[in-house]
Amino acid sequence: MTVEDRAVILELRDVSLSYHARKSSFDKGTHRVLDSVSLRLYEGETLGIIGKNGTGKSTILRIMAGILAPQRGTVQRRAGTSAALLSLGLGFKPNLSGRANAVLSAMLQGVSKKTAISYLDEIKAFSELGDSFDEPVKTYSSGMRARLGFTTALMTHVDILLIDEVLSVGDAHFKAKAQQAIKERITGDQTVVFVSHSGPQIREMCDRSIWLNDGVIAEEGDTPRVLKAYNDYVKQLSSETVLVG
Amino acid sequence: MKLSQYLSLVDFQARMALKSDASNYFLGYLWWVLEPLLFVLVFYLVFDVFLDSGRADFLIFLVCGKLPFVWFSKSVSQASNSIVANAGMIGRIDVPKSLFPMAIIQEGLYKQAVVFLLLFIILNLQGYPVSGSWLWLIPIVVVNYLMIVGCAFFGSILVCFMKDFAMLIPLGMLFLMFMSGIFWDVRSIADPQLAEALFTYNPMAFILDSYRQALMFESSPDLMGLLRVGLVSTALIAVMVWYMRKYNEFLALRALTV
Repeated sequence: MTVEDRAVILELRDVSLSYHARKSSFDKGTHRVLDSVSLRLYEGETLGIIGKNGTGKSTILRIMAGILAPQRGTVQRRAGTSAALLSLGLGFKPNLSGRANAVLSAMLQGVSKKTAISYLDEIKAFSELGDSFDEPVKTYSSGMRARLGFTTALMTHVDILLIDEVLSVGDAHFKAKAQQAIKERITGDQTVVFVSHSGPQIREMCDRSIWLNDGVIAEEGDTPRVLKAYNDYVKQLSSETVLVG
Repeated sequence: MKLSQYLSLVDFQARMALKSDASNYFLGYLWWVLEPLLFVLVFYLVFDVFLDSGRADFLIFLVCGKLPFVWFSKSVSQASNSIVANAGMIGRIDVPKSLFPMAIIQEGLYKQAVVFLLLFIILNLQGYPVSGSWLWLIPIVVVNYLMIVGCAFFGSILVCFMKDFAMLIPLGMLFLMFMSGIFWDVRSIADPQLAEALFTYNPMAFILDSYRQALMFESSPDLMGLLRVGLVSTALIAVMVWYMRKYNEFLALRALTV
């Protein structure tokens, strides 16, 4: 059975998104982040999205998670499916302890306070934060934040797991552990969208991939083919930089 | 999101904020009463000791106005920034945006319960015994709370549109403070029409006067006026909640990019 024979769990059609961000006072600069992007996500697959920084990868995940809505185009998620975004970002309250933040994150994902508290031992153990778990998050290193965020998000079970670069931070030991945990999820019937700017991780985890470049899909299909196109582009880009430099 | 989940999230965020707030200061929870007391002290010094207010009951007059006003102004100012301040959270999880101002309001409500207790103690110490007319406080506090929620929601949306509003709102609060008869009595304005207009068009002046009527003069507030302010506030809340639901994703984009 090829991926395309499976049921579509989420579909984006001609999705475009732009926003205004001031570069200086009285400015109204328009940024076009996504331009007519269409894609299908099939049940149980692991889809990779690769592309350089600032090319709309995180935005597309936010649209899939229902956090943002496109200005044009449609998003169709199969009725009753839940999606969660696993990302590093700043989703913590710096003055609260890791413990309080873990409870808050889990509750925001929709579980009751009681259930959230029942996850705590597991989160503390997996994240390996030790005594720091009860200290304010503002005292954490970026690696510790990454571990807390990853572990908390991993506890909640959703139909579509959207993973945004989370595996690119943290020490080698935790990275391997996190990758293993995700792989275990993937071998089940978890649907995953995996965003990265690192080729090897996409190659290892994803059957099908999309290369997103400046808000449009530059290539899609089998992972090796997409990665080759992306790598050629990156090589060309760096050789141009050398010429200019 | 279910209502029970929403309420428990509001409560949890408020409690945690209070806890971490207290641990940030050496005097911790003492600031809950210290801050309002210092506010009152400053105004008392300036307007009674230096400028001679000419009222024997100035201290009580001042606390009955200042303490509810600080509840309003602090809650609304802080809540106005709350959606933008939680952009990190909003970029990761799709949640009702009203959750963030509500958490700040709840935090203020817990503190205010203690402040009201302080107010009753001051009243007693100054020779105003507990009286039946104090029961009027229940509808007055409810209306005051509705005013806070409505204005906080409105402010939090404004700041999403333009961060510049975060500069304007504290200025607006200062203006409101001068306009609402905190250290002067609206009823002492020579022109009765002007006083009437102030009570009609400035709900803050009206509500502070209501507190004083109930606590100092053992009389009922203007019930029709109270009902009117309560209804207008409820309508404002309804419109804001409708807006936040309808433009949920748009507000997220604004919060992430403003």
